[in-house]
Amino acid sequence: MKKTDLKLRKIFTPTVIVICGVLMLLSLFAGNLVFYAFGSDDSGYAITPVLIILLLAIIGIVLCLWLRRRIVRNDPVMGRFAAERISLKPGGTVKGQRKFGFMTMRWLIMILSFFALIYGVKWLGQGFGNIELPIFACPINQDQLIDSSCYTLAHLNSLVGMSWSEVGIFLGSLLLSIVVLGRFICGFLCPMGLIQDLTHETRQGLKIEGLSFNEKLYSRLKPIKWTLLLLFLGLSFVGGNFCNICPAITVSPALAGFKVSLFLSGFAMIVVIIGSFFKRRFFCNICPLGYLIGLGHRISLFRIKKDCQACTECGACYEACPMGIKTIYTEREKRDVTTADCIMCGECIDKCPENKALAMSFGGLRFYKASRKTFMSGHKKNEKRLKRLIRKREKNESN
Amino acid sequence: MSLIDNKRNKPEMNHVIKNQRNAHNSSSPTTMAERQRQRFVDKATKVSAKYLRRLAELPGAPDAMEPFFKVLQDIYVDLKNVEKSADTKIVGTYCVMVPDELIYAVGAQPVKLCSGSYTAFAIGDDLVPRDACPLIKAVMGFQAMEVMPIYDDCALMVVPITCDCKKKMAGMLKQRVPTYALHVPTAKSEDRDMEQYVQELYQLIPELEAVTGQTISYQSLAESIDAMGFAQYQMSKFNEFKKHVPALIKGTHAMALMNAFSYLPVEQWSQQLHRLNQELARRKKDKHYVSKDKQPRIMITGSPVIFPNIKIPLLIEETGGILVGDETCMGERSLYDPTVVVDQSFDGLMRSLANRYTRPCTCPTFVDNSQRIYRIKQMIADHQVQGVVYHVLRGCLVYDFEYQTLEDELGKLGVPVIRVESDYNEEDIEQLRIRIEAFIELIKLKDLETRISKLKKSEIAG
Repeated sequence: MKKTDLKLRKIFTPTVIVICGVLMLLSLFAGNLVFYAFGSDDSGYAITPVLIILLLAIIGIVLCLWLRRRIVRNDPVMGRFAAERISLKPGGTVKGQRKFGFMTMRWLIMILSFFALIYGVKWLGQGFGNIELPIFACPINQDQLIDSSCYTLAHLNSLVGMSWSEVGIFLGSLLLSIVVLGRFICGFLCPMGLIQDLTHETRQGLKIEGLSFNEKLYSRLKPIKWTLLLLFLGLSFVGGNFCNICPAITVSPALAGFKVSLFLSGFAMIVVIIGSFFKRRFFCNICPLGYLIGLGHRISLFRIKKDCQACTECGACYEACPMGIKTIYTEREKRDVTTADCIMCGECIDKCPENKALAMSFGGLRFYKASRKTFMSGHKKNEKRLKRLIRKREKNESN
Repeated sequence: MSLIDNKRNKPEMNHVIKNQRNAHNSSSPTTMAERQRQRFVDKATKVSAKYLRRLAELPGAPDAMEPFFKVLQDIYVDLKNVEKSADTKIVGTYCVMVPDELIYAVGAQPVKLCSGSYTAFAIGDDLVPRDACPLIKAVMGFQAMEVMPIYDDCALMVVPITCDCKKKMAGMLKQRVPTYALHVPTAKSEDRDMEQYVQELYQLIPELEAVTGQTISYQSLAESIDAMGFAQYQMSKFNEFKKHVPALIKGTHAMALMNAFSYLPVEQWSQQLHRLNQELARRKKDKHYVSKDKQPRIMITGSPVIFPNIKIPLLIEETGGILVGDETCMGERSLYDPTVVVDQSFDGLMRSLANRYTRPCTCPTFVDNSQRIYRIKQMIADHQVQGVVYHVLRGCLVYDFEYQTLEDELGKLGVPVIRVESDYNEEDIEQLRIRIEAFIELIKLKDLETRISKLKKSEIAG
């Protein structure tokens, strides 16, 4: 085992360093790498770049699948399952687990927030520009219901030229969002999150095998995350523009009808879509803004609580966690298991089979608790069928 | 060993004797080996019948328990095969780490072969080292005597390499029957341990497919996970009833029910359990309890308690205790943790299986097993347990290792623990009875003391 570890370290560490270096280099020259440029004459449709990105992403995904199939086929153990693992065949799914519940709520909120953050002003006729959420819903889109402070964060040098009231609004709303919402924003409100969850659900529907990360791989993501955070906050000081590499710029303005020329960000979005297809919430794992909010998790009101005695360390929460937070199932002392990475998506609680072992709380109020009964509620249908069967049989016997 | 070789050369003899026995033919067998076999069969069935009777005579058995008793009767007294269609293959499993889901998914029927027979133990005593655990001895005894159809009809035996005894048993079984040694990771704290088990399960599939000729598909695997999930759903409802104070069902009956799971197809078992749950719900409504208010609530943990070696649970309940929980691998543990599917792909299902059979498993064979203590503590809280009986089979070292920590931890909680070592025979039964009786008296006394002190406090306050 140690040998393979060493080998992996030999491969992974340089790769991570190279990725970080390339990212830095690219971001400096991002303005020169044109993905799709609108002419000055205002011709063309705003949606065109999005469609190009989607097309390229799908081609990329198919290419990845084909490649993996080729690799897997030669494996002595896995070769036999190459077809089964990339199956597109229709077939039953596992029905025993809960279908509706907290997750349905989350999806509704996510979709609602997606449209509010894109078409909000068009619908309501008025936005709330005074409130600035730290969220990757691109502020270039003027139709947002609530403004996003990501632009100011990415251009901290512009703070100098701002009036005091503007700086006050920016800092105040940033602090308020960190305390009141925290990374709840990531799990429930962020449009980038919805896009990634959609690609993930597509994969689930097609039953295509994903990429299972383990603790080692997650730890390798950390340097990339820090690099991105550095770029996010510091690029403006060296004359760069984070918007040129930010993948969020490709979606929101385009859907609202704003024509924005894309640079490196178009390529970044392709990577994000392909990544999130195979690894759930891929971008969230390296998102600089989310991590920035997460750094203030100690004062945030949304929390994940754990009853360490009730936990059986079954690891279901860890398997379900899109952010790969291992402490959630290994923790045996603290009652609070919120970390900087946690995006409050509630998957761990949804998949937890132990009564009250995990719970989400807001300011001390536990509003969503794990329970075995609801976890297994999908079986209730089976039970009803069984009851009917037994009744019928008894009737036949008595006749 | 000569005995076994003898038998192996004459497989037809097996048949003849069974026929003779079934027809109550009194014509005496001729050779010495045959006579020995006949004696073995007589004794084994007699012991099993006796314990089955004691089980049934233990007051408070729900009517819905009948099918479970019948299965045990069929297997151990009438020496029948498991109920199945003629072309269904049997795959024998041991321990709790072999995923039944995979076996059902290829169309075979899993049968858990861990044994508790005293008579087979006596035979096996000559085949394996003296210090080996009695479970291995009993299994090897049955294997040597070739009288149990569930052992003889196995198309494949899957032995997880858990403890040393199981490891060597896999080697010995391999010489007689097709056996597959399933490697279980020795630790589970790191991700790669679980990932290693995913690989092991992938390697197990072709072996299982070779048995039935059916290939595993996404559909069949999803269906079998659902079938097992339904059994676990019924089990979780049953557990809720077990938490009720005063008790609705005796723990010995609950253990017999879990033993019956080894020999029943999962759909049938969950159907029967569903009926039992309905009856328990009725009992709860009618306030028909099987225990009195002040009866000491005992929990058993440690080495597996396998029929017919159910003397300890029987003793607990016959000497005035009520067995409310069990944390043993032939009991609640085998069906407690559900398979949590988080990824709908085939690999996702395999991962969820590997996850379910390693990470939450409280088998002491794992290097780090502190979670067992937490599990027991949680059970003590859930079931309002007043005392813990720690069962150790002689030679079952892994469980013995964990006794010290458990004793310390429960000492902090103020819950008394008794370590009970036993073997697969009835010689120690009186000694066990005295110890368990004393333990239960101790709990009663303790309970009385706390009640009195409470009363005094309230008087002073009043």
